[in-house]
Amino acid sequence: MHAIQSDSLSKVYRTGISKQHITALDGFSLEVNKGEVFGLLGPNGAGKTTFIKILLSLTRPTSGRASILGKELPDNKVKERIGYLPENHRYPGYLTGVQVLSLFGRLSGVENATLQKRIPSLMALVGITEWRAMKVKKYSKGMMQRLGLAQALINDPEVVFLDEPTDGVDPVGRKEIRGILLDLKNQGKTIFLNSHLLSEVELISDRVAILDRGKLLKVGTVEELTTTGSQYQIGIASSLPEDLKTEAAARSMHLTPGAEFITATIENVTALNSLIDLLRKHRVEITSVVKVKSSLEDSFINLIKREVAS
Amino acid sequence: MRILTLIASTFRELLTKATIYVLAGISTLILLGVLAGFSSSSGTEGTTILLFGNPIGPAIPAEAVAEFVNQMVAGFAKGMFAGVVLFGIFATAGIIPDVLEKGTVDLYLSKPLGRWELLLGKYLGGVCVVFVNILYFLGGMAIIFGIRLGTWDLQFFLSSLMLTFVFACLYSVVGFLGVVFRNAAIPIIGAFLYLLIVGPVLHQREMGLFLISENVVYRGVVDGCYYLLPQLSGMMDGVASLILRQEIDWKPYAQSLLSSGLFLGGGVFILSKRDF
Repeated sequence: MHAIQSDSLSKVYRTGISKQHITALDGFSLEVNKGEVFGLLGPNGAGKTTFIKILLSLTRPTSGRASILGKELPDNKVKERIGYLPENHRYPGYLTGVQVLSLFGRLSGVENATLQKRIPSLMALVGITEWRAMKVKKYSKGMMQRLGLAQALINDPEVVFLDEPTDGVDPVGRKEIRGILLDLKNQGKTIFLNSHLLSEVELISDRVAILDRGKLLKVGTVEELTTTGSQYQIGIASSLPEDLKTEAAARSMHLTPGAEFITATIENVTALNSLIDLLRKHRVEITSVVKVKSSLEDSFINLIKREVAS
Repeated sequence: MRILTLIASTFRELLTKATIYVLAGISTLILLGVLAGFSSSSGTEGTTILLFGNPIGPAIPAEAVAEFVNQMVAGFAKGMFAGVVLFGIFATAGIIPDVLEKGTVDLYLSKPLGRWELLLGKYLGGVCVVFVNILYFLGGMAIIFGIRLGTWDLQFFLSSLMLTFVFACLYSVVGFLGVVFRNAAIPIIGAFLYLLIVGPVLHQREMGLFLISENVVYRGVVDGCYYLLPQLSGMMDGVASLILRQEIDWKPYAQSLLSSGLFLGGGVFILSKRDF
């Protein structure tokens, strides 16, 4: 059983007097395993938030099916087992932090006795204990985000949906939130992350999906998405002899020399070993061999560019 | 359980609104005025009711004092309703559109909470706050008249409930408009338009709208509108009848209950079809 599963999910909005059709999701199928941190990436308007809203029954799909923890949606009961931090959330300003958690905890079906214990520990976890009695209308954006995270965890959920969880949070706070999310992962919880901060998604996600204009472009581990074909960077302590370059070219090994390394584009690991043998034969001292990776951001941008071009 | 949580949180939310305190303040001032103004002196000829120490008429028997008090309370109840509508609608009209705003509705509906529960919880929370205000005013009035004129009557509690029901019927229309338009201004305008123009005109349709045409379809439409909307005037007459120990016409209550059910049901239906 998957934590989250969608099958050919589509959503078409009709807007304006002319009822113009806008496709937010187009046959979107995805499976998220239990206990993994899953990042959903996409440019603005890609359909990321629509997908979460369908999963939470805030929006009805035009077609297709989805399930959470094996329960076909819509299912109100399963919401007792999920947590959600929406983007741009607005809490009742007249409540204090403790009262917000108490309200949403009770609405999640958590017993009062449990809330008495859980609220202080969650406030401590997200670092807002000293503001617990302050009205939330006085909270800064970062404090609101921390409170939002505590709210999403108030029912000790099995699946947590986080839409831009570090929006407005300072770098130290972002690191703390990343730590909390990794702790949650270690506790076996499934985390579904929507974020524009690709570097952050890269740091904590086990798998990532890239969505554009409602369509799934790619899904895989961060490793799979950031590995660029068969390029290797080989550190060298001496310059390359000319005859080595000629020999490599003859063997279809494309070498781009640098000051302290060469970048080699080769077909497979066997070819890589042949290249290393060749370097050693010419007494070139090797200091390192690293598979070339692009950042998630580069991969994301390249993928979106290719999609736009096609 | 979840509905109770929503009612309690709405109650708390409304206690932060200045309009509710204005209404309570006006009620308090009137109660203090009645407390300071009314007194009585008993003699062999009966009881003389005094207003700021001056007799307002000849001595009357105890039953007549009770009748006088009932007349007074009925008059105050009508005045109270005007205050409740003015301040109560202003205070409560925003609570349903507010909870449907982006960023707020997501939080509520991501919980195991039905959309009908959200609407009903907010609606009942608004009604509860108004009930407390009405109870405070009419209860206070009954206690003051009991102390000052020696006439004790528990009818005030029932009349408070009936007055709250009248408000609840009007508030169902406000709530429906709040769901449809998702702002507070249109429900407020709608409520006052209905209360000051549409309601009275429909109530007196035989002496007004029916004179325009004898066409059966036209009159049927006018009648349909009358029966579709809560009948506030008829219900207010019922509250006065209750206080004055007169026979109550329950028909407007039954029709208004049905129409309020339709408005709330319509609100739930629209809410259930809406994408957020």
